[in-house]
Amino acid sequence: MTKTTGAIKFVFWLAVSVGLFYYAFHSYYTGQMISWYYYKAKNDGYAIHSGAFKNATKENPAMLQIGKFDKIEGLQAVEVKKGDRLPVNADGIIDKKVIKEEKRVKLEGEMIKVMVASEVKDAKGFKFRDTFKHKGIMTNPWAGAWNLVMILAIGLALGLMAEGMTDIMGLKLEKIVHH
Amino acid sequence: MFEFIIAGVQSPWLLLVLTGATVGMVGGFIGVGGGYMVTPALIVFGFPGYMASGIDMTHIAGKSVVATVRHRQLGNIDWVLGLAMVGGTMIGVEQGVRLLTWTKTIGLSGIVLLTTSVLVMIGLFIYTQIETQAANKVAMQMEKEGIKVGREITTSSLPAKFQRISLYPIVRCKTARIVISMWVIVIVGAITGVLAGFLGVGGGFVRVPALIYVVGASTHIAVGTDLLEIIVSGGYGALRHSMMGNVDFIAVLFMIVGAMFGAQFGSIATAYVRGPAIRYILSYSLILATVGAFLRLAYMLTGSKYAVLSFFAVVFTLGEMFFLCFFIMSLVLFAVRYQKGKSVPDWIPSLVVQK
Repeated sequence: MTKTTGAIKFVFWLAVSVGLFYYAFHSYYTGQMISWYYYKAKNDGYAIHSGAFKNATKENPAMLQIGKFDKIEGLQAVEVKKGDRLPVNADGIIDKKVIKEEKRVKLEGEMIKVMVASEVKDAKGFKFRDTFKHKGIMTNPWAGAWNLVMILAIGLALGLMAEGMTDIMGLKLEKIVHH
Repeated sequence: MFEFIIAGVQSPWLLLVLTGATVGMVGGFIGVGGGYMVTPALIVFGFPGYMASGIDMTHIAGKSVVATVRHRQLGNIDWVLGLAMVGGTMIGVEQGVRLLTWTKTIGLSGIVLLTTSVLVMIGLFIYTQIETQAANKVAMQMEKEGIKVGREITTSSLPAKFQRISLYPIVRCKTARIVISMWVIVIVGAITGVLAGFLGVGGGFVRVPALIYVVGASTHIAVGTDLLEIIVSGGYGALRHSMMGNVDFIAVLFMIVGAMFGAQFGSIATAYVRGPAIRYILSYSLILATVGAFLRLAYMLTGSKYAVLSFFAVVFTLGEMFFLCFFIMSLVLFAVRYQKGKSVPDWIPSLVVQK
């Protein structure tokens, strides 16, 4: 392959790669990707925004106001049933079973008292901080297909772009004959 | 620092790019996904365990496409062999996942998982080391006697035994120059798939040795063809993880940028070396990963009392990535010097390709 065709290949696949990256970041920042992730409730409980009370402890608990909000802002919680579409900004569910246990959270009238926002847990021998984020939520199944198609397309575009790049550089890579 | 909204963590994006690059290089060179290195790294960077696995698996699918494109150009992929293996792999992965679920229900998954990893990797390390040492000795002897050494040299007699099985249909793999019963390929795919599904990895570190020592493919073909397999198994894993909401796609994007550079270097580097060089790196990667897994197993078996074990497991796993990259880069550097007629250490000529 000549350097000219290499350059054409590089520019074309560079444009495709940039387009795919732009589309992915655009979907992320406009909130579309996030709305796919935090799609529906998997269990009965309260939809919350975990970041609002991430530092809550027994000594310094956070009080969440229960109500019917379309968008969760700060210390708010919305009661949801299994299969309900989650309100905007919700990123987890406090399961009713967890509330019954009263170890991490407690129901106090129209308020939820969060006493343990995070716990250190083990996974395959590694420690990590487990929070209410991502608990009890269901992702839009189509988001899985979108992710897969995007990553394969990006991989292909980047691979062919790099091939164009080495052609421009004049790196002669010949097929290996296997004996 | 970058705020990953879906994962809910702030993490240095440059470290993700760097991780992608190092694992990409190792993966492109020895034909593995590198899940056993990436997941711990992501946990260290602050990602929750479930997210680390999901991001890792999705990045592996993309990275394998990048590396496969390059290996295709180098002629290291046997499409017949790869496609024949895919079916077995998929069945195996599903059975492996079911086995994992069963061990979870009896409350054993963590310990069983790590014990299996340790045993499988130690076994593969020992066999690969012994065989590669023997092959390298033969190559060195041939070099001394002035006999031209080819790109591949193996001493294992196992492939010939498996190739003698005449169970219909017989497959002719033109690029790999193998004639073998399709059942052997499918069963190898299924067994390695079970391990991949059970251990939650792409399975490359089992499949590459299996392709070399059971099917009889050359090391280069095994690497390229395995990366093709990882697109399928990794893609399936990425789909499942994504459907469960375990993937922050932006983290994957940062990693794939690094992987593009790393996988290119790793894949192109295979053109400069002989089969035993790749097998050496593969065996070192196996033993280093084993030590990391063993430390974590010890940590779990001691009731998570000794945090120092977990700490050293992380240090070992991360250190492994850099050590292997350094090794690969050194090999390429020495190969280039050797090709230009410059002086190189005595152990280099038998491992690298002459022009």
